[in-house]
Amino acid sequence: MNFLLHAFWAPLTETYFQKALIGGCAVALVSGAVGSLVVLRRMAFLGDALSHAMIAGVAGGYLAMKLLFGVEAYAPAMLLGSLIAAIITVALIGVVSKVSRVKEDTVIGIMYTGVFALGVVVVSIFRQYIHIDLMHFIMGDILGVADTDLWASAIVSASVLTILVLFFRHFQLASFDPIMAASTGLPVLVLDYALTGCVSMVVVSAVSMVGVILVVGLLITPAATAYLLSDRLDKMMALASLFGVTSVIGGLYLCVWLDSAGGGAVMLFCTLQFLAVLAVAPRYGLLARWRRLRNMIPQQVVEDVLITVLRQQKETPLKVLQQFVQVPQPGTLWKAVKQMESEGLIEALPQGYRLTGVGEKQAANVLRAHRLWESYLASIGTPEDAVHPTAHRLEHIHGAGIVDYLDQKLGQPEVDPHGQKIPRRGNGARKKPAGNEPEEQ
Amino acid sequence: MNNGKGTPAIEVRHLTVSYGARPALLDVSVRIEKDQLVGVIGPNGSGKSTLIKAILGFEKPDVGEILIGGEDVQKAKGKVAYVPQRGAVDWDFPITVREVALMGRYQHVPWYRSPSAADREAALEALSMVRMSDFAERQIGQLSGGQQQRVFLARALAQGSDILLLDEPFAGVDAATERAILDVLERAKAAGKTLVVVHHDLATAAEYFDNLVLLKQRLYAFGPPAAVLQEELLSQVYEGRLRVFTDLMAKEGGR
Repeated sequence: MNFLLHAFWAPLTETYFQKALIGGCAVALVSGAVGSLVVLRRMAFLGDALSHAMIAGVAGGYLAMKLLFGVEAYAPAMLLGSLIAAIITVALIGVVSKVSRVKEDTVIGIMYTGVFALGVVVVSIFRQYIHIDLMHFIMGDILGVADTDLWASAIVSASVLTILVLFFRHFQLASFDPIMAASTGLPVLVLDYALTGCVSMVVVSAVSMVGVILVVGLLITPAATAYLLSDRLDKMMALASLFGVTSVIGGLYLCVWLDSAGGGAVMLFCTLQFLAVLAVAPRYGLLARWRRLRNMIPQQVVEDVLITVLRQQKETPLKVLQQFVQVPQPGTLWKAVKQMESEGLIEALPQGYRLTGVGEKQAANVLRAHRLWESYLASIGTPEDAVHPTAHRLEHIHGAGIVDYLDQKLGQPEVDPHGQKIPRRGNGARKKPAGNEPEEQ
Repeated sequence: MNNGKGTPAIEVRHLTVSYGARPALLDVSVRIEKDQLVGVIGPNGSGKSTLIKAILGFEKPDVGEILIGGEDVQKAKGKVAYVPQRGAVDWDFPITVREVALMGRYQHVPWYRSPSAADREAALEALSMVRMSDFAERQIGQLSGGQQQRVFLARALAQGSDILLLDEPFAGVDAATERAILDVLERAKAAGKTLVVVHHDLATAAEYFDNLVLLKQRLYAFGPPAAVLQEELLSQVYEGRLRVFTDLMAKEGGR
């Protein structure tokens, strides 16, 4: 108990930890919200491009202030430089992908590595004048957050959140249906630029904490995690912010306990969180998907049950069904029978199962499909011993018009190759009833 | 027909729109009266979507003008409600049926305010008009094709515009669903809406629409289906693919 208290409380008393917590949470809060839009608009690569472009901006801002005013490492200038570099990169990407045949993803890759390389070269050429630690830049240093960085992230966080809240509807509409948005006179282009601006500000303020490489993760991973859990944009944004904050808190503790790199620990926690949600999310998770697939009863099994009961021409016990119906898994037959009972295709009697009126019609349709397929197979010269098994597989293909086509083509035969009567077309086919669409549940 | 009665809902005058040297539309003039269900037909690349974009005010015409209710299209933003093609929508977007319908009201809500109770009411009303109120809380990806189409129709109705523009609403839905959508279109028409529908299927065009616009770069015909669906006209517009349509015309005649 004492140990636990120590593990959680002790770091909180340290100033560096408090600063990291405050700064990290401020950035995570807003990057989750804005990241939701980035994820939905498929702009994830853009976040990466922006962060890489930054180094050129930082170097430019540093250099300009030093040469013009002799001021060392003036933070606002470096921030402004980053923003300018980010905007230039985005503009370059837009122009080049529009006027050349090179596609946008490639252009993004070219531009951001190019601008990043420019920054690296500039920093190393002017290493006597400007003192930028490239490693710090690339990896970030959430445990060494300076007060100016704290202020910067607080201001960015507050202003971007304000913009997102005020213009939530506009961003929602422009992201979901830009054509409709434009048709109602919404300035879609301005909104696009505003969003890009917001993303740039968030990226710039996050780089000092988690570094160039990991910043895109902080932008999109919490948002993607929330995406798996939400059916509304406002909810997704709120959840994404929450997941961002939990990643920062969890990551920071992880980093203190394991004595690891701060940015790495935060993103690791964030990714694990995503994987956990991916596994267990109630609707869009893997577990839910697996369970849905497992509970789905193949149409083929249903039809095989129908036709088996029809052929028996009396109440059929489950044992007989097991003999004739092939199932993918042991439990499926039982589930299929239960479902068919509730759908009113068969009814259970003490001696076994019996077809209802509807079930009988459907069974007749499957039988008709089977016997017509047999006739067809015989007519194209299929060996006699292969006719029945092949038709047994093909009988499940009886969608719109297929069986009627066979019927027409074969000249509406009365009997199949084995001399058995082909049932006439009934109207109990498992088709959607007219005017009434299939509903889930 | 109500020729010359009042201002037309949409009036296109000598519209030419070009991309580079090739005009997408050449000298197209159409006068669509109010309370009509109008189909726009023509082969792929015939300028149907350019016409739609022009009516929405997205295209800058080289020559000509478009009047919406007697007003220039650029000043009539929001007066034409647009229903996108099903393929153009991200069905995984986290948004519910209710929210999509409410989007129709956004243009009437100032940016500093939230949608009012009246706006929410109007959105619900539009949903009930397309019989989708029971699905209000569903995410849009969980609906069937026809239901999805109806939700967007509800959004267009909630916009309160008198003119609805639909881009291939019948694409990729089964026959029963097609009827259900048509039913909603008919009711919107009865409620005083003018509907312009881009349509692909010549076989059903005659049955569905009051008037047809036959387009291939220029306007080949505009009028009641019987006048537009002439073999001679269609053979000009559809060129090599005529054989299919002659069969079809024979069937039409037999009905």
